[in-house]
Amino acid sequence: MTATFNRLWDSRYRVLVLGVLAVGLMAALPNFIDDYYVFLGCEVMIYAIAGLGLTVLMGWTGQIALAHAGFFAIGAYGTAILSADGFPWPVALVLAGLCATASGILVGFPAVRLRGFYLAIATLAFGELVQRLLILFASVTKGNLGFPVDLIDVGIGTTLTLWYVSLVILVIGVVALSQVGRTRLGRMLRAVRDIEVATGALGISASRYKLLAFAISAFIGGIAGGLYGQLVTFLTPPIFSLDLLIVFLIVVYLGGVLRLAGPIVGAVFVVLIVEQLQDLGSWQRLVFGLILVAIIRFMPGGLVSLPSLLRRRQRGSNSTGGGGLLAEPAPVRVVDAIPGGTP
Amino acid sequence: MTSVLDISGVTVNFGGNRALDEVTLSVREGFTGLIGPNGAGKTTLFNVISGYVSATSGDVVLEGASLRARRPAAIARAGVARTFQTPRMVPDLTVRQNVMLGLDGRRPMARHALEVVAWPTAQRAEGQATQAADDLLRQFELGHLGDVAANSVPLPVQKIVEVARALVSRPRLLLLDEPAAGLAVGDVDRLIGPLKEVAASSHCAVLIIEHDLALVTELCYAIHVLDFGRVIGSGSPDEVLHMDTVLQAYMGAGFAAASS
Repeated sequence: MTATFNRLWDSRYRVLVLGVLAVGLMAALPNFIDDYYVFLGCEVMIYAIAGLGLTVLMGWTGQIALAHAGFFAIGAYGTAILSADGFPWPVALVLAGLCATASGILVGFPAVRLRGFYLAIATLAFGELVQRLLILFASVTKGNLGFPVDLIDVGIGTTLTLWYVSLVILVIGVVALSQVGRTRLGRMLRAVRDIEVATGALGISASRYKLLAFAISAFIGGIAGGLYGQLVTFLTPPIFSLDLLIVFLIVVYLGGVLRLAGPIVGAVFVVLIVEQLQDLGSWQRLVFGLILVAIIRFMPGGLVSLPSLLRRRQRGSNSTGGGGLLAEPAPVRVVDAIPGGTP
Repeated sequence: MTSVLDISGVTVNFGGNRALDEVTLSVREGFTGLIGPNGAGKTTLFNVISGYVSATSGDVVLEGASLRARRPAAIARAGVARTFQTPRMVPDLTVRQNVMLGLDGRRPMARHALEVVAWPTAQRAEGQATQAADDLLRQFELGHLGDVAANSVPLPVQKIVEVARALVSRPRLLLLDEPAAGLAVGDVDRLIGPLKEVAASSHCAVLIIEHDLALVTELCYAIHVLDFGRVIGSGSPDEVLHMDTVLQAYMGAGFAAASS
């Protein structure tokens, strides 16, 4: 009985059980918290969704890409404009997501040639360009006057509607991307990240997969942007400035850029910490900065790496060798690796 | 037996430096050795065949089809696999997943959509790839390492895994760049034994760069010797290792004179 239980617990079912519990909890939560926290919860989920896009592009494919606020803006404005033109909101959201995808592929083209710092500059320029275009095409976007967003409501109030829509999209995103991570595509994206030189010899076209990663990331960013419009209810170009990009980067790197749980944990942390630090007034930024530095210094893998760090430390203090907080796992020797092997 | 690979008059200039000079040679099924002093252009020739470097002139033909001006990924899909001097593993994938990467580029890109929704045909293809990787790992006596992260196995094992990854797609031509370098004697046997079996059963032509002359002599039916970018000798191991030009290149002029 216990053995069966343990086996189930150790397997993939654990993730499934915890996932279902978490979703159930999130579905019930708005009944127990006041409206303000429902609003914050929506913010958390939207940042988490946006962060998922960065996990694919930066974490899995290894591209330093700073165009995410631009994709987010295209999604937000696209959804708002199309639904104001009479498209049903879900259709507008998907179409805006596809616009973001197209722009993602466009931004991805330089990525095929550029890397590191140069790619960062090129993609950063795209974010700025989107912001400029939003002001330039004021006939469509209303420029700095701002664009009022038609709010969706399925009969339970706009905030609650946003809560459930965000939750559904977040769940779809996590499930779909965990499939991506476990299948051939996940392997190939990681190969582009770690052994780009060798991908050609494996019959993998690194440039195509970089473009695909940009497309996926931009689509997710665009969808998150569409949701964000519902949250802020009024769009202006400065919302999508560098500050927003930095929030995304903090969400992803604080949570852990390699894992899908990373942006979720990161988003919860960022929104709640900023909220708690409101009372500190002018000290807020300093304290937030110190917390960031501490986490990045002691948990390079982000907050999601905390459990494994603790486990390793526990194991380290029990064994004679001692491991230390950041010690690497002991490598397997040839002798151990090959049955009957001699060194 | 007809040749699998024909290289004719391949010249590569790096700036004013001539890395390969009118190299002409052919490779049949079985093992062919490519030897020569450091800097002779052996790896450059591999880079030309696999599309990493484009030749200034000359042609590379795989079973009648020219590989010139084709990109590395296209050449790999045409049936050319290769390894690198230092193994290139994706550290946070398992050993099995790293081997599967050798097959991943062969399925079309559009298939990803079906794989993500776990479509039955896609699941079956994934199952077959897993099976092929596991079978090959078992043949190399590494079956028990399938689930281990690639960065936690030692370098010699990674080299063997890389050979398995190159073999898993059953290439027509396999290019091995110093597969035995850094391997202990026992490990070399563990690599070469299964390699010979797989290459024979899949009728693969293997071109192998190797400094261990005893190994090359034992393994290869033919050897080509490169020196300063030129082929200075081709033939059976016995012929080649007694050619004056080869002895001079390897041992210096005095040794060649004394031994003849």
